[in-house]
Amino acid sequence: MRKPKFTFLTFSVYVFLFLIAASWYFVVGVEKASLIELFSRENLQYAGKFFKGLVGVGEEKIAFLSKDSWSEAIKLTVETLQMSIMAIGFSTVVMFLTVLPAARNVADGTLTLSKKWYSFLLFGLIRISYIFSRAIPELVWAMIVIFIFKPGILPGAIALALHNFGILGKLCAEVIEDTDSRPIRNLASAGAGRMQILLYGVLPSVLPQFLTYILYRWEVIMRTTIVVGFVGAGGLGQQFKLSMSFFHYTEITLLLVCYIVLVLIADFLSERSRYFVK
Amino acid sequence: MSKNNIIEVNQISKHYERKIALSSLSFVVEKGEMVALIGPSGAGKTTLLNTLAAIIEPDSGEILIDGLDLRKITNQKTRARKIGIIRQQFDLVGQLAVIHNVLAGRLSEWGFVKSFISLLFPQDKQTAISALERVGLPDKTYERTSKLSGGEQQRVALARLLVQRPEIILADEPVASLDPARAEDILETLTRLAREEGQTVIASLHSVEYAKRYFTRLIALKNGEILFDLPVEKVTDELLKELYQLKELDQNALV
Repeated sequence: MRKPKFTFLTFSVYVFLFLIAASWYFVVGVEKASLIELFSRENLQYAGKFFKGLVGVGEEKIAFLSKDSWSEAIKLTVETLQMSIMAIGFSTVVMFLTVLPAARNVADGTLTLSKKWYSFLLFGLIRISYIFSRAIPELVWAMIVIFIFKPGILPGAIALALHNFGILGKLCAEVIEDTDSRPIRNLASAGAGRMQILLYGVLPSVLPQFLTYILYRWEVIMRTTIVVGFVGAGGLGQQFKLSMSFFHYTEITLLLVCYIVLVLIADFLSERSRYFVK
Repeated sequence: MSKNNIIEVNQISKHYERKIALSSLSFVVEKGEMVALIGPSGAGKTTLLNTLAAIIEPDSGEILIDGLDLRKITNQKTRARKIGIIRQQFDLVGQLAVIHNVLAGRLSEWGFVKSFISLLFPQDKQTAISALERVGLPDKTYERTSKLSGGEQQRVALARLLVQRPEIILADEPVASLDPARAEDILETLTRLAREEGQTVIASLHSVEYAKRYFTRLIALKNGEILFDLPVEKVTDELLKELYQLKELDQNALV
């Protein structure tokens, strides 16, 4: 009989089983955690109070029934929408300005059939800026930007754009790297110059994909506005944090409703425009 | 050397690591000739066409186009007026409308601004439309190219060549991915249009049958060498048998 071979696969299965056993030992034996503790009388009481508060039981002022609160919330919703549009606008502009030299096949000249001595220098610099931008989370960018400027939706938008241009740039540069080079080389043999190749070959094949990514990031930005709002970037997020601190539970309900509406709008718009592009 | 020689190939060789793709080929093509390159896969047909198109540079030897050294025609735009290429599909930008793919044949004459405006308001529209009419696609002008069938896409590529008006057309397996009826149709159109325009055609083909029917001269390549170079009527079945014979079969025959 052949001896079973000790492969990486069997090794990883053993490690996997060991990790499961060890984790359970740690949770039960060392930490002495128990599921029942989570449902203690105290926790239940807090939770009950919170959720009752959300629907307005026992509250003096019920925000989602007051006209003033609604108009305030709608104003904040519009602000949030503005912030997200500004953010995606800034990052798209910067992405478009930098994405071409950031694609490897443009840098080494295989796509446009022309290469300059500074191509790789530019490629490296832009790619590093993308990584830098992505590596720092929106929240940290927001704290930095708001520390420099004063709180408001413009600093919030700048913070979101700073994080997202790196993501968009990387995604879109990869789209360019994946384009079929055959039609583009044929344009070159039909006598098209570098800029003409860009117009007739590269842009038409990458733009639909670009749009998909831009809309997707816009959706994400819309959701992330709440996070940067926490540190003072304005919009619904900031109000959310304030209501939370003042225990105005019914306001939280109102804000959450506005939020869901916003995300639904973004979802609908991106779905429609993707359909339109196809 | 007659004035009519549009292509002169003098002893060109090309090696890829260890493998000889072209070994010291020489031939002359006269203006207006219809030449088919035939031979088994890997014989060097595509390499030869790419060398003629200046996409690949030969290791040694020279190519004269209209008496000019191909290496000296470095300007892509000048070269595009001499040489046009059609391949087995994939040479069109699928997302663009048909008319822009046809007008891409004009890019060598247009500047940047004109090509940009043309994407919004097609320029030289009449040229493009009459080219499309000549290849038999008059009603697809504004359709998205990727929506067209394989045969229709090859027609668009032919229309582009009509607009580009090169003196020489290099066709690399132009009908390899089409069914027989469409293939004959495309070859018929290609050779008819080239005759009307007085162009010279060099096409690589898998099918000897098509080569014999639509071309006047056959150049057979085997292992990077020219096995024969004859007018169609002089090509015999024995020669063709030799061309496509496999080495293994030779040995079997001996045993």
